[in-house]
Amino acid sequence: MEIKAKLKQVLIDELNLEDLTPEEIDDDAPLFGEGLGLDSLDAVELVVVVQKHFGVEIKDMEEGRPALQSINSLTAYIKEKQQA
Amino acid sequence: MSPSDADMKTGSQKPDQQNWSSRSVGSNWQHQSFYLAIRLGGRRAAYLLLYFVVAYYVLFSRLARQRAAHYLQRRFPAASGFKRLCHCYQLILALGKVLIDRAVVGILGPQAMAVNLDGREELLKLRDEGRGLIMMTAHVGCWQVAMSALDFLDRPVNMLMRREDGDIDRHYYEHAGIDCPYKIIDPQGYLGGTLEMLGVLKQGEILCVMGDRPMGSERSLVEIDFLGEPIAVPFSAYKMAATTGAPIVVFYSWKNGAASYRLKLARVIRVPEISGRKAELFKPFAVEFGAALEEYCQEHPYQFFNFFNMWLRQQPATKDGYKES
Repeated sequence: MEIKAKLKQVLIDELNLEDLTPEEIDDDAPLFGEGLGLDSLDAVELVVVVQKHFGVEIKDMEEGRPALQSINSLTAYIKEKQQA
Repeated sequence: MSPSDADMKTGSQKPDQQNWSSRSVGSNWQHQSFYLAIRLGGRRAAYLLLYFVVAYYVLFSRLARQRAAHYLQRRFPAASGFKRLCHCYQLILALGKVLIDRAVVGILGPQAMAVNLDGREELLKLRDEGRGLIMMTAHVGCWQVAMSALDFLDRPVNMLMRREDGDIDRHYYEHAGIDCPYKIIDPQGYLGGTLEMLGVLKQGEILCVMGDRPMGSERSLVEIDFLGEPIAVPFSAYKMAATTGAPIVVFYSWKNGAASYRLKLARVIRVPEISGRKAELFKPFAVEFGAALEEYCQEHPYQFFNFFNMWLRQQPATKDGYKES
């Protein structure tokens, strides 16, 4: 499964977004606040989920902040780290 | 630095149902009067002024009595009338002394206040696990003075702390004119500071948090019983511990002499790896914290400094434990 599709499915499963389908998640919408509506504790879970399912560790805020903006930015970050 | 300020919360309604504020209540000249008393006559002179100021507030400030009553009516349910007024006086006096002591440490130096720590060896062992350390306390005693006894841990200290606009009471390092000895993480910063907190724990650093005040959204709170009635406390620290493996050290300080404090390691809470973020998953750990806090209130009834209605009922629970606001 392509990274973006897998990421969406993982978010739905792990962050209890059962009301959504992968198709309904906008690739460019903000993950937090308006958009997907995740909050600060979801951010912690998201860091865990990305490491668990993609083997990529988000180490600190400097790395995490730009990566955790949207599905597209997180996908790009995962791709970049996996290729490094 | 009047005794009705600083930790006496304004009770103003905040976003996400936050019914407390850390904003100082006293005016600047009141604070300066106490600082001047300390400089001229030391701690005792400031205490002397304090007795009169506290008496004034207890007798003439209905608001001060109301704020103290939330806790006192649960800690001393049988007390009424004059007896409750006496409890109120003792509670506000104790707060005033703590605020003066904090200023004394800054103005006259740390040698002006003795701090004894129970659990030093255990803390060193926990530090050496290398997974970071979450030090959780509450608005009791004087945590700022207590922090000065933790230098031996020899690790960077990060403090989750919000300072409101308009705060005029000073921390001890501000009195001393030195740099802040810890890094402050703003809970109202990006993602509530959670990524910063994760980052410092991954570096093996120390993260200090308050476990007794609701912060963040309703979904970050869990309900526990405290003094016989439910309160909401944040569970993000337990989630951090579950994610990083960092132990949570519950510690409390109390004033145990005219110029001395004692610092006790009350509990070590180990949170296993837990996936998900449902409040109920973290409730057992929050309950443990609450039990330690209740023990503290039994032992030191006048050193509990939450002057807002912690027991104000929250909205009904949903699948996550709380309804979204």
